[in-house]
Amino acid sequence: MSVPFKQIVAYIDGSESSMTALMYAIKLAKEHNAQATAVYVVNTKALSDLLKSGIFVAVERDEYQKDLFEDADRYLRHATRLAEEKGVEIETVKLEGSVHAVVKELVKRIEADLLILGGVSDIRSRRDELASETDRMMRTAPCPVLVVREDDDIWDEFER
Amino acid sequence: MNVLEVLEKDLIKVPLESSEKYAVIKELVEVAAHAKGYDKNAMLEAILARERLGSTGIGNGIAIPHAKSDVVTTVTMVIGISKLPIDFESIDNQKAKIFFLVIAPSKEASAHVELLASIARSCSSGIFRRMLEQAKDADEVIQLFME
Repeated sequence: MSVPFKQIVAYIDGSESSMTALMYAIKLAKEHNAQATAVYVVNTKALSDLLKSGIFVAVERDEYQKDLFEDADRYLRHATRLAEEKGVEIETVKLEGSVHAVVKELVKRIEADLLILGGVSDIRSRRDELASETDRMMRTAPCPVLVVREDDDIWDEFER
Repeated sequence: MNVLEVLEKDLIKVPLESSEKYAVIKELVEVAAHAKGYDKNAMLEAILARERLGSTGIGNGIAIPHAKSDVVTTVTMVIGISKLPIDFESIDNQKAKIFFLVIAPSKEASAHVELLASIARSCSSGIFRRMLEQAKDADEVIQLFME
């Protein structure tokens, strides 16, 4: 770990809270003069599980996979635009697989010293806790993790 | 996204009144239409189009009819529990008592996939399925997911 941070990774999944986390990452990267990376993971593990369990048929799995790859491109383009607005260079990475596992690999590979997440919800049940990809990422990340709460102030400050 | 994020009392019906597959789907769609004001016929059409590709009866007494449709604005889930086992043409030929109807707008593909996976995980426990089958009302269903 280095302080100030040199390599910051923001995980985005298209949710509003993950976009808040991305904005925070961009601001932090600017302040620390750090390299920022935005990562989107197409959850092909979930797609395979849905096919195996009979919830999806093959043609449906293929259609959703295509949609998710298109979503990935769209959100990563958005990340680039946001970073450019703030004069920050950002690397965008599109991965596929089991979300927490591939994010962990990325963090290791690029030797990130901070992972920024949004969307960690209050644990309302044990089942919920076990199911959340964000919680798994938080627990398994090989670097410090910063959890950004959904907060209008971050959006307001970013737009200033 | 997981089950708890879309779990709403108004979107749970216990017990279901229908006793046949397509009537159950229609009843679940009506719950969503009534609670959210969505177009019933458009939702039904989307669900039935998916069902024509293959039954969403996934075995162990569970069916998850689902579809992608912009007739809804957010990911919507209806839970129905039937006291009578319903022939849903399930992959294990077992009749179903627990139904999750999921319909999501096309822009929410990621959340849709996560929700379906969350339902599958939640229902992977035989004990949990039996408790759901025995739920007497919507409050009990909510309680079971909250535990």
